[in-house]
Amino acid sequence: MNQIDNCLEVRNLKKYFKTPAGALHAVDDVTFDIPLGSTLGVVGESGCGKSTLGRVVLGLLDATDGSVVFQGEDITNASKKRRKELRTDMQLIFQDPFSSLDPRMCVSDLIAEPLHVYKIYKSGVDLEKRVADLMDTVGLARRLAYAFPHELDGGRRQRIGVARALALNPKFIVCDEPVSALDVSIQAQILNLLKTLQRDLGLTYMFITHDLSVVKHISRDILVMYMGCMMEKSPADELFEHPMHPYTKGLLSAIPIPSIHVKRKKILMKGEITSPVEPEPGCRFAPRCPYATEQCRKEMPVLVEVTPGHFTACHQVKGEQ
Amino acid sequence: MSELLDIRDLVVEYHTEVGTVHAVNGISIQMKTGDTLGFVGETGAGKTTTALSILRLLQIPPARFASGEIWFDGKDLLKVSEKEMRSIRGSEIAMIFQDPMTALNPVIPVGQQIAEVLIQHNEITKAQSWEMAEKMLEKVGIPAARANNYPHQFSGGMKQRVVIAMALACTPKLIIADEPTTALDVTIQAQILDMMKQLKEDSGTSILLITHDLGVVAETCDKVAIVYGGEVVEYGSLEQIFDRTTHPYTVCLFGALPSLDKKVDMLTPIEGQIYDAISPPSGCRFHPRCPHAAEECSKKVPDVVEVEPGHPVRCLYANRFYAQNAEGRR
Repeated sequence: MNQIDNCLEVRNLKKYFKTPAGALHAVDDVTFDIPLGSTLGVVGESGCGKSTLGRVVLGLLDATDGSVVFQGEDITNASKKRRKELRTDMQLIFQDPFSSLDPRMCVSDLIAEPLHVYKIYKSGVDLEKRVADLMDTVGLARRLAYAFPHELDGGRRQRIGVARALALNPKFIVCDEPVSALDVSIQAQILNLLKTLQRDLGLTYMFITHDLSVVKHISRDILVMYMGCMMEKSPADELFEHPMHPYTKGLLSAIPIPSIHVKRKKILMKGEITSPVEPEPGCRFAPRCPYATEQCRKEMPVLVEVTPGHFTACHQVKGEQ
Repeated sequence: MSELLDIRDLVVEYHTEVGTVHAVNGISIQMKTGDTLGFVGETGAGKTTTALSILRLLQIPPARFASGEIWFDGKDLLKVSEKEMRSIRGSEIAMIFQDPMTALNPVIPVGQQIAEVLIQHNEITKAQSWEMAEKMLEKVGIPAARANNYPHQFSGGMKQRVVIAMALACTPKLIIADEPTTALDVTIQAQILDMMKQLKEDSGTSILLITHDLGVVAETCDKVAIVYGGEVVEYGSLEQIFDRTTHPYTVCLFGALPSLDKKVDMLTPIEGQIYDAISPPSGCRFHPRCPHAAEECSKKVPDVVEVEPGHPVRCLYANRFYAQNAEGRR
């Protein structure tokens, strides 16, 4: 495999948190690549470790084990100084545009903040010009430069978040549920903006969300997580056409479809997500899985490439082949 | 008339320092016994204000009922005494709130919270109410032994089940569910919606379901009201709204959703910002964002046009859009 083709390579990444009750397996043995200029969607329910994964990849949290290679450089144990330099290449868009912006800063200050931190411009005129350019890029009217976040609606606030992330010309952006707090009409505006930016600036995204229809729309590949583990990884269309893992199947059948003619058989999953603290051996999904056998409860399934590019970790799927 | 709930031209305003907020501007809806009505709209459309008006839970001031009537079971709820209202809340109309994490009291066991409702409205002893509370918990799929547990010992989905048990405790005639599954994961949402449907079939209660999710509406409702800017812009049965969509706003709402079965490169968002309730636009409230807006739309307030029996639409060109869209879908 050619090194240059992948923007990010993650190998056997683990992140355990210490708790009084034992180790909490937030991310457990996750491996993936993101090719340059493409989008990897990470889906899963709350508590599955998708946000933690994003943070470990960016180096905001230290990995317990495994490696993160960004553009051919192993950054897993990068120094503090190198981390700060890397931040210009790797950025994050936050979920909540209501709490991630300082309420006392106006729009132009908010967008200029990363440029100040990295002392990019010496002259104020250049800085102002760059801020104005960024506002144009993300579709914020220039008259809003001195408005405060509370005067703006969710969609505009999220545009500020996008502009802040873009300020340093990053190559890779982790989008952590960037549209979950927005109304559908505004959500569509932001998704279109992210797609256009990717095309124009050649950005690579890791798109974290719990919304499967959003992830299908924006991603090239999709990674399905459950309790810190990878359940399935596949190209987006393939995953929706031929889901293999019982969890993915259940997840897909649980989405309410806004049409009255599509009738699907529902696979109702029993129970709820179990505790990730010192998890039992065996498949993490076994307690809720309708097909679980003795083997599933004892032995952790490994990720297997079932058809080209389509990986899944399930004893039952392997058995069928 | 067999209408259980009949809201007529309800107008609610909030008087604030920055000006008058026109939250609800003449909403009229009717519900029959046994109906599930989906109340769909975006942030600031006036959905929650309408719901809280029915229960008279709005704080007055800043809120003010400018005009309108809310008829429930032969009574105008805006005219009854506060004492009578107290006996209606919980026993005849119950509410399921959006966020199960904040709707429960963290320092009281869940069983006691359900029993509290029962004691309030029935002449029963504490022991009887506790027994009934345990039965309610079992009905929503929680073992009776857990009645002694506190809310923090339950997961999000379980807490929402407790909230639903509380709402159902007195077998109300109407349940108002304000975004009951928005705070939950999809698999849990599917469980809760399935359970609500089952419970509705068993008890025959009517449900007013407030949501922004058209997928949830398609799975649970019989009737749909689309609200924008404090007005019902389109109302009809599930088939009428989903198959013969007429109002441009409703069409836009469907277009903005990323689809699971169709592959589109770019979504069609609704341009502009959401409705500003302090300085509402002149004429049709949707015209600044409407892709078909004409000169006339900014001047004339559109009347309600009934494009087919039981399918009123608030748009100047309703008949034209109805004809076009009905054709386009075929």
